[in-house]
Amino acid sequence: MQNIIVVSQKPSDLGELIAIARRLGEPLILAFQESAVSINEITGYGHKVYRLNSDRPEALYYAIKSLYDSLKPKLIIGPTTKNVKDALSLFAGLYDIPLATDVSSIEDRGDEVIYKRGFLSERVIMTASVRKPAILLVKPKIVSPAEKIGKSDVIDLEVTAGDVKLLERKPKVLSGIKLEDADIVVGVGRGFKSREDLKLALELANLLGGQVGGTRPIAADYKWLPEDAWIGISGKRIAPKLYIAIGISGAPQHMSGVSDSKIIVAINKDKSAPIFKLSDYGIVNDLYKVLPILISRLKARASQK
Amino acid sequence: MELRDIIVLVKASLNPEIVRQNPNGSYDIEYTPLKISDIDRNALEEAVKLKSILGGKVYAISVLTWGPLKTRDKDLRLAIQEALAKVADEAYVVADDSVTPTDQVIVSNIIATLIKAKGLRPALVLAGEASIDESTSQVPARVASKLGYSYVGYVRKIIDIKNGKIIVERDLEEYTEILESPLPAVLSVTQEINEPRPPTLIQIRMASKKPVHYVSLKDLGLEFKMKRTIMDMRVLTITRKQVVIEEANVEKAVDRLLEYLEKEGVLRI
Ligand SMILES: Cc1cc2nc3c(=O)[nH]c(=O)nc-3n(C[C@H](O)[C@H](O)[C@H](O)COP(=O)(O)OP(=O)(O)OC[C@H]3O[C@@H](n4cnc5c(N)ncnc54)[C@H](O)[C@@H]3O)c2cc1C
Ligand SMILES: Nc1ncnc2c1ncn2[C@@H]1O[C@H](COP(=O)(O)O)[C@@H](O)[C@H]1O
Repeated sequence: MQNIIVVSQKPSDLGELIAIARRLGEPLILAFQESAVSINEITGYGHKVYRLNSDRPEALYYAIKSLYDSLKPKLIIGPTTKNVKDALSLFAGLYDIPLATDVSSIEDRGDEVIYKRGFLSERVIMTASVRKPAILLVKPKIVSPAEKIGKSDVIDLEVTAGDVKLLERKPKVLSGIKLEDADIVVGVGRGFKSREDLKLALELANLLGGQVGGTRPIAADYKWLPEDAWIGISGKRIAPKLYIAIGISGAPQHMSGVSDSKIIVAINKDKSAPIFKLSDYGIVNDLYKVLPILISRLKARASQK
Repeated sequence: MELRDIIVLVKASLNPEIVRQNPNGSYDIEYTPLKISDIDRNALEEAVKLKSILGGKVYAISVLTWGPLKTRDKDLRLAIQEALAKVADEAYVVADDSVTPTDQVIVSNIIATLIKAKGLRPALVLAGEASIDESTSQVPARVASKLGYSYVGYVRKIIDIKNGKIIVERDLEEYTEILESPLPAVLSVTQEINEPRPPTLIQIRMASKKPVHYVSLKDLGLEFKMKRTIMDMRVLTITRKQVVIEEANVEKAVDRLLEYLEKEGVLRI
């Protein structure tokens, strides 16, 4: 059986990655994390585990290179996260190995591997074949996680972190809210004039029993919301029963994060905003006029029950 | 000699806002216009700032990804012209139908070979964090690897550059990091690093006088066997009801919306 290196950044992703790798060959795990990776979480899948006590892409690059040089795997599988993308792209550049991100299916064909991936903000699905060796970084939740089946040998890796020095690390303030689990999500965009005004969206979400998320500028640039409320291709993908997009233009990078929603509602004052073509129901009007009325109607409904 | 020059990588990408479908459901790539990849504009804007600090020259490099050149020439030129108008002094363009549609292995080989062949010795190579069509975030790191330069991805702030070093803030999913890298370095920048300003009319006029060097693969002594073959590109059809309520009376509009949502069974109150 061919060797497959499975790169795992978070023990919680490992089950899915192993499930994919087992179908393709013999998985060997490269687990990397800031503090010593807890052995219990990464062992038990019955395979050799190489453990790296660093979560920096600079170190992961050297770790993957040394494993590749000695094991000569035909495939490397990993999650589509920023650190993994950076480290494996650096590595891929060294040996001209093809690399694909956001892969949603993999088919092994001997010397080649065929995969599908989202393209153009996931509006198009590309099917491509590449010659092995190849690196495929997959999307989360495309398979169910594998079960643990046996013992693992753990080998600690020692590598340098290269010439980029880490001076300081600051954790982000995250809400911890699992937007992807909410049935109803109220999405806010740049149509809101100030952070203060987001309370309209919060009140709406509370009445509906939902959560508030937003576009990238709102969360990442203005920081009006914590970053785990950022919805879209570079943020979270959600699939609620109801998504209400307020003051959001409907850019493809945002909409790819909500395309699995059952019903999408748009509130936007610009009739020509692309969001109306990507929604089920829309109101063309100023959100500052619509929201107070929507909120009072819902309050009235709530008190009737 | 201190390194002063800057290279900005600029991609003419397929525009994700215009997705047309062939009758058989495949993606109509041929007539989709190309446009400069959004985040490359942030890289160009950052180059304006850095050029004033470093005082060197700025070069734009672009490799045509989607052919044929005959139909893409105008779009490609527009992207390059924007780079020249914003900040670049000269541009290098590789547009060769023998390698379109190009993959990232080939693009990064072309860029790295070009930089060496033309004797460019940049302090920095700036790129976008992701292109708007492929969005793989891999070309900048590959280029760094091929040139043996240092690399930092997802840079949302340049804090300082002096004495052959650069200090930057890297934006990751759960934390940000302050990093110090030696020069030369390749940086990929995020959308949040700045607010790109469109070039002025005067800048656009000046751009037409700046040199654009078209370089062929033969000039670079390159020949490729493609590692990736695109087999199919299928449009995901979005079927939304697209009911738009244009009722001027907001109360009526809201009531109609609530009726619809009630019928859909998505309201809990
Ligand atoms: C590689 C890449 C990745 C990206 N990833 C993401 C991502 O993951 N998520 C994401 O969201 N974006 C992402 N973006 C950014 C995306 O392209 C858009 O820029 C962004 O989604 C726009 O956010 P917005 O809709 O809030 O703002 P805008 O596009 O500015 O839209 C604001 C809307 O509000 C409306 N409006 C204004 N005032 C009112 C009012 N009073 N009442 C009602 N409506 C009003 C306007 O008509 C307009 O349509 C990415 C971009 C790139 C290039
Ligand atoms: N064909 C290309 N020509 C010039 N620069 C490119 C090309 N492809 C990618 N890049 C650069 O690499 C960045 C990331 O692209 P990607 O790896 O495709 O997500 C882009 O924002 C550009 O700066």
